[in-house]
Amino acid sequence: MSGAGTVLSVRGLDVAFRVGRGPRARTVRAVTAADLDLRPGRLTALVGESGCGKSVLTEALTGLLPGTASVRGTAVLDTPDGPLELLGAPERDLRERVRGRLLGLVPQSAATHLTPTRTLGAQLRETVARLGTARTVAELLDRAALPAHLAGAYPHELSGGQAQRAGLAAALAGDPPVLLADEPTAGLDRPLVEHVTTLLAGLAAEGHAVLLITHDLRAARDAADDLAVMYASRLVETGPADAVFATPWHPYTAGLLGALPDAGFTPVPGHPPELSALPGGCAFAPRCPVAAECSGDPAPVRYGDRAVSCHVPEEVRA
Amino acid sequence: MSELAVTPRTAAGPGPWRPAGRPRPGSPRGRRRSGRSRLVAGAAGLAVLVAAAVLVPWLGGLDEGAVDYTAIRLPPSAGHPFGTDSVGRDVLLRSFAGLAVSLQVAAACAVLSTVVGTLFGALSGLLGGWYDRVLMRLVDAVNAVPHLLLGIVIVALYRGSVLAVIASIGLTHWTTVARVVRAEVLSLRERPFVDAAVSGGASRLRVLRRHLLPAVAPQAVLSAVLILPHAVWHETALSFLGLGLPPHLASLGTILGEGRQAVLLGSWWIVVFPSVLLAATTLCVAGIAAWWRDRSLPRRRSEQAL
Repeated sequence: MSGAGTVLSVRGLDVAFRVGRGPRARTVRAVTAADLDLRPGRLTALVGESGCGKSVLTEALTGLLPGTASVRGTAVLDTPDGPLELLGAPERDLRERVRGRLLGLVPQSAATHLTPTRTLGAQLRETVARLGTARTVAELLDRAALPAHLAGAYPHELSGGQAQRAGLAAALAGDPPVLLADEPTAGLDRPLVEHVTTLLAGLAAEGHAVLLITHDLRAARDAADDLAVMYASRLVETGPADAVFATPWHPYTAGLLGALPDAGFTPVPGHPPELSALPGGCAFAPRCPVAAECSGDPAPVRYGDRAVSCHVPEEVRA
Repeated sequence: MSELAVTPRTAAGPGPWRPAGRPRPGSPRGRRRSGRSRLVAGAAGLAVLVAAAVLVPWLGGLDEGAVDYTAIRLPPSAGHPFGTDSVGRDVLLRSFAGLAVSLQVAAACAVLSTVVGTLFGALSGLLGGWYDRVLMRLVDAVNAVPHLLLGIVIVALYRGSVLAVIASIGLTHWTTVARVVRAEVLSLRERPFVDAAVSGGASRLRVLRRHLLPAVAPQAVLSAVLILPHAVWHETALSFLGLGLPPHLASLGTILGEGRQAVLLGSWWIVVFPSVLLAATTLCVAGIAAWWRDRSLPRRRSEQAL
């Protein structure tokens, strides 16, 4: 993964939250030293267990973290006016230039992101007017594969899948080159998951850079061009999806693939650590079947277009 | 002998189980839930009352202030359907004339306090932090002074004018609305759809106007309805102290205030008839407000499937 041809390049992203007060104060490290590149025309899937920091990553990129968060690192976004560093950007820049226009966010549980007292059409119209694009409501609904009559529907009249696609329609209103989709398939059944991921893959094929955050490894395998695996706040393995699925280097990636139905539903033993009490060194070591062979250093090491932390892949050792 | 408090549901029993509170299809309860009857009853009742308030004094061609010392505290009869008061004035004429005045005063007070309260509460809830603290302490300060005292000061400054009475009641009763609206805004503003609007670049004012107020308005209107009868009573209290409406203007408040003493002499009609008018008016307005609340929240509207 190189800096060339990327539209969004994240380097060394750290996000930590201070929780509690006084003697009970703890620091929750939600994202640690994350390197990630999003490229136009490619769908990057970010997978990992619940609570490993996936959503916090998108919140950091869009500047939507709560005030208790502290952020380090860089995230450089290609804009028409040259590169823009997102993490240090003033709120005004994020609001006027970035959100909606350069970064489209499809939120987790899109239904709650729609104002309950107004129709979907009215809200899409407001979004378009605010962003100043020439899109029409009918066009947006069509691109999100929603029937046109839903423009007159109130949010509570949408089904879960329709609400997710409505969120996608709103994210598309500003023609953003980068789309961040935070579990857009959560709670949907198989055909709808496929529908949404196919939509996102289609958008990637049209030239958007798409980040798909998901629990759903099958959806990731079907749609993703690149794969990033997150464990306990770190991106433990990144690389082209085909290569990672064919030969997972990190034992955690291998464990996740082993939990797929066609691999025999074998879960990774143990539980992920609390993000407020991460061990030094490799956080996966207590669950790792091959911990003895590893360096124990959690910093990812790059091998060609793939990167893996802690574990030295056999191909490289040989 | 054993008697069961609950009828066992046997095959011949009262039929299949059904969630509590869910009306059977086609039952009259189902229709009442739709809220349309509320609107019809409320609107019809209010129309009759307003028409009566306008027409009775006019059609009668009589002076509701006319004093007749030969007919003091007469019980209801054909000549005086609502009876007469302590100085022989016709209670029916006075009640409807008073209703007209009271309705104007109360409606103006309700509107004034709702607007001020909603503005205060919404700003307080939306801005939060120090703004919230300062604004809400101001509300506490207004509440800490007895309403009547504050009202008396305002009325004393501008004696004998209807506007002063409206201001003195409206400016002391907005605090309840402010608290209700603030609480509602505080809960709504944490919802993701507000984050979505803000992160999309909507200004605070726009968030307030397009996303929060439509959801808050029904609550605000309901508390305005509660102010309606209270304003009438409050005006009575002012009149009792001689600071209310000018004495020649009959209002429900002044009638009730005077009637209170006559009740001890057994003249119940002087209090009962104006009270019934007041209660009926309040219920009619409440019915319309409840209907409107149900209509203005899309989720409730589609539950009722009007």
